[in-house]
Amino acid sequence: MLRRAVLQTFRQGLAQSFFKRYAVSLTETTVTHQPIETSNEAGERSVPTQKTGDESRNTVVVAPPEFRFMYPEFLPDPAMETRNRLREKLERMDMLQRRSVIEIPEFYTGSIMAVTVADANSPNKFARFVGICIQRGGSGLRAWFILRNVVDKQGVEILYEMYCPLIQKIEVLRLERRLDESLLYLRDALPEYSTFPLDMEPERRLNNSVVPINPLKVKLRPRPWLERWERQNLQGVEDLNLPQRFYDKAEKVAKPWEKYDLMLHYRKTIPAEEQEKIFAEIHSQLQQQELKRKLRRRRGPDNEQ
Amino acid sequence: MNQADLSKLVSALRIAVKPKPRLFSCPEGPAGRLKKLRATVTALVKYERIELNYPRAEEAQGYAERLISDAIRNGDCHKHTMEMADYWLNEKQLVHKLFKVLVPRYQNYNSSFTRLVLGPKTYPGYFAGTAILELKGNPFPALQPETHNYHYWLHNVLLEEAKKEFRSAREDRNAGTTESVTAES
Repeated sequence: MLRRAVLQTFRQGLAQSFFKRYAVSLTETTVTHQPIETSNEAGERSVPTQKTGDESRNTVVVAPPEFRFMYPEFLPDPAMETRNRLREKLERMDMLQRRSVIEIPEFYTGSIMAVTVADANSPNKFARFVGICIQRGGSGLRAWFILRNVVDKQGVEILYEMYCPLIQKIEVLRLERRLDESLLYLRDALPEYSTFPLDMEPERRLNNSVVPINPLKVKLRPRPWLERWERQNLQGVEDLNLPQRFYDKAEKVAKPWEKYDLMLHYRKTIPAEEQEKIFAEIHSQLQQQELKRKLRRRRGPDNEQ
Repeated sequence: MNQADLSKLVSALRIAVKPKPRLFSCPEGPAGRLKKLRATVTALVKYERIELNYPRAEEAQGYAERLISDAIRNGDCHKHTMEMADYWLNEKQLVHKLFKVLVPRYQNYNSSFTRLVLGPKTYPGYFAGTAILELKGNPFPALQPETHNYHYWLHNVLLEEAKKEFRSAREDRNAGTTESVTAES
């Protein structure tokens, strides 16, 4: 599988340091097992005899660090009250089973996608919709994404659940990222930013190893808006040109201390050790599925001939 | 249902983290809460053992563990970690202490870096009393006696012998009953 460098530099630094740090320490943790509090005051880990993964007899599977961006729905909902390890494990098994049947490609907010759904009420029995992914969320089997398009001057948004059995095909027509994780401001933007032709062809990517970031800055329509965009620190929007009182109120209402609230961040995310455990679990299966698909793609046109 | 936030990688904390944070009542509101906790975390790193009320101690323990675990994971050349250390430690010499003293000390720890011990409850009531929050590996004498049991201590020797006597007596009794059964049959 090709390694993909994530463009934003701080993420790359994090990813590299994570991989360097945890590729080595994973071997240590699998080779030795220590109780939490030993007899000496410091709970020191004993130094294992085999240091590197190559030399150790136990082979350690480490998923690439980009997995958490490519498959974020495999990570559970961080809210502690609703976590259930067994349910999460069963969900992951079901998700892999569904992925073996249908190809759910890698996509990000800002990618243009086409989804074909089985629809009993449509003449062809299938309904196809093309749109830009403005938001994705949910975890496990309830993972969803919203596609937006403007059809006959009417803005249309459809929420698709990724693992719904009615979904026949998910294609990514243009794989790219935007400057924000959520593009809900497209609802208040000029319609040309949300319009994509319904018969759009999938675009071939020039560089397979890098997901490009589209630095487009969108122009918003004049107020009133659906949300107070000036309070949200949006990168992908042109200068809002509002009267100063809006920015003053935004400053008054802002919570600058949340940037430093370490426990708030901890409660909103899954710790790295757990993430790597989850992805190591599913890594080999996802790799196998991709290999099978590649082989099928190569054999497919040959068989037809 | 929400997706986990992917922008930062955090280490797993080895303390029990409650699902909801405690919101302390402050004259400055939510901004003041972090200000107070900052003072506590600074004092913990400075003095390595502090006595304070239990609710504040428990909250500060979480923040101290997060700060130290980030410092261990990312080191001092990481911009975000340095910003956090700069915010949470009011005295700048303690930032040096964090990266030069505490990180090497806790580098290979499998357990938590802090210890929270319940202190005396000086007045009866439904509130938790005081607590003592300390960094492990501090130079002071231990707060709690070591809970070791050595086999050569007198009471352990006597207990072992008593157990052996009891077991041999039980075996004799069982042997006696089986012999009487076989004799009868």
